[in-house]
Amino acid sequence: MWQQVELALSQSAHRVLVKLAIFLPALVALLLAIIILTAIGAGLAALVRRMLTAAKFDERLARNAIAPISDWSPANSPTALISRVVFWGCVLIGCFIGISAADAAYPGDSQVSAYIFPYITHSVGAVLLLIAGTVIARFLERSVLIGAVNAKLQYARFLSLGIKWLVLVLTAAMVLDHLQIGGAVVELAFGILFGGIVLTLALAVGLGSRDIVSRSLERSTTFDPIPGDPDYKIPTPTETLRHF
Amino acid sequence: MASTQTNIAHTSPPPTATTPATTPAATSAAGSLLVSLVPLAPEALETMLANLSLAFAGETVLVATPDAAPQLSSDSPLRLLPYLPTTISASPWTLTASDYLSTYKLAQENRASACVLLGAESQSLHPEAIRALAKSALQTDVTTAHYDLGPREGLVNSAILYPVTRALFGTRPRFPLAIDLGLSLRMAERLATGAQRFTATGQNDAFLWPLSEAATVGYSIAEVNIGPRTLPQPVTPDLNTLLTQIAGSLFADVDAKASFWQRARGVQPPQLINQSAPIDEHPPDVAPMLEAFRFAYTNLHEIWSLVLPPNSLLGLKKLSLMNPENFRMPDNLWARIVYDFILAYRLRTINRGHLLGALTPLYLAWAASHLILLSSGTAPEKHIQDVAVAFETDKPYLVSRWRWPDRFNP
Repeated sequence: MWQQVELALSQSAHRVLVKLAIFLPALVALLLAIIILTAIGAGLAALVRRMLTAAKFDERLARNAIAPISDWSPANSPTALISRVVFWGCVLIGCFIGISAADAAYPGDSQVSAYIFPYITHSVGAVLLLIAGTVIARFLERSVLIGAVNAKLQYARFLSLGIKWLVLVLTAAMVLDHLQIGGAVVELAFGILFGGIVLTLALAVGLGSRDIVSRSLERSTTFDPIPGDPDYKIPTPTETLRHF
Repeated sequence: MASTQTNIAHTSPPPTATTPATTPAATSAAGSLLVSLVPLAPEALETMLANLSLAFAGETVLVATPDAAPQLSSDSPLRLLPYLPTTISASPWTLTASDYLSTYKLAQENRASACVLLGAESQSLHPEAIRALAKSALQTDVTTAHYDLGPREGLVNSAILYPVTRALFGTRPRFPLAIDLGLSLRMAERLATGAQRFTATGQNDAFLWPLSEAATVGYSIAEVNIGPRTLPQPVTPDLNTLLTQIAGSLFADVDAKASFWQRARGVQPPQLINQSAPIDEHPPDVAPMLEAFRFAYTNLHEIWSLVLPPNSLLGLKKLSLMNPENFRMPDNLWARIVYDFILAYRLRTINRGHLLGALTPLYLAWAASHLILLSSGTAPEKHIQDVAVAFETDKPYLVSRWRWPDRFNP
């Protein structure tokens, strides 16, 4: 009895060690590929940065106002954006090569990469979607806030927050859909949330703009002030203000 | 200096290239003055030509006009140069890149020795004023017009354009974006070279800054008082859009010429100005401007805090709590705010469109403060000069932060 237990344990330990012996080279291959490609990426990024700096790429792009890339770039520099894209591109390629190498290190019909590759691709897509969505949400939030404040809309902050969350909710739904998490629940929740935000905004803007719309309609229908109208004000000297 | 030798004729023709319709008259008047006009209404053009005839009696002057030119008598001193602008300006109220480019091309083709650019509504200029401008153009590289404006006019110029240009580039003229200019041929060439950079990328309506350009290369600058003049107003009445355009252009120019103005040490001597003015019986209604500022303070505080240091934010907080009758933005606070916005523009702390949009309520606060001060009897020009001095005094701050933007800034 004891001998059988001992045999089973030793066989289990042997199998674990064999698996470990197979797995470790695969892990080393994966890490090696990532490290080498990261080093290459760092070198390439430094080279690109140096070349673009020497060519005064940022200044040239700044003069060309039709290219708004600099507004989206980290560290406020298109050169930094491009060099980072080069670096992370190399790291990503390193991940793919590493997974392939790890897969090849397994004997027989192991198809780890067949499952992992599509999921990593989806994950990268989801991360990019998340970054783009967050950046767009912040950009639109500020655009709406500043525009609404300069237009003296009393619900400026509410409007900007609404726009921000609208984009964030849309982004979150897209990311979850991309990762195939949640399924129909996400779609349903997104529909309810998105519809709710749009309805809230529509009500808020509609109620808040009631006075503006009525004033606008009054202006378009009556061009001259009605004599004796108590609302009519004599033009003040403010009208002679000239900013330019 | 190297760029001053750039020959525009050797470069590829820009999209706004002009086509001279007649040249024989010009050939006979080679070496004379070129007066360049922007599009004018037929009656305005007739008045303008009559004024030019009076201004240059007995002399030969080339007059470039994009309008259908009337027949002139044989004894007229004017030689008309009709030309065909290929684009219609979206900013006819001011001089744009295409205006500078077409003027230089015509001056070069007709071998004019100096140019006078007259902006929209130029028919309201007195002949003596045109003559003074032309005379100065023959002696100086850049001559800008000095306008007699009312206390409630040209506020953006008084708040931002004049003090920034004066403090950074050490120039004295009061209107950096004047629409009536006298230019020597070499200055016209330099401005045309700068204009070509814009027109090559389709930005025909870009603004140019002749004073900073002249200061950078050490050209001579003069200012001529041209008296009363009808100043055209922008087509777009939206202050936010216009301020974004003009301040954005100025900030970009400051950014491009940083290597010059960091070294420049020009401080203008104090001018003799009336210290007081009659109290305005109908003070302007500044309530909407103050309301706009206070509303922005509650909503844009987060965005301002990305751009302004805590000390300026504290100043704005105090301002937001002031009563309308005591509302007064300190000159040094305004100078610091503008400098911080220039820095943020350079560093791209936030999107540049957002940045310039966030400046509008602060400008309105300055304008309200300025108008309240004037209604208390302070002479407008005195306050404007005080503001300019504050900008000059605070220039070391801008230079320091420009060089070391990450240094601790309370």
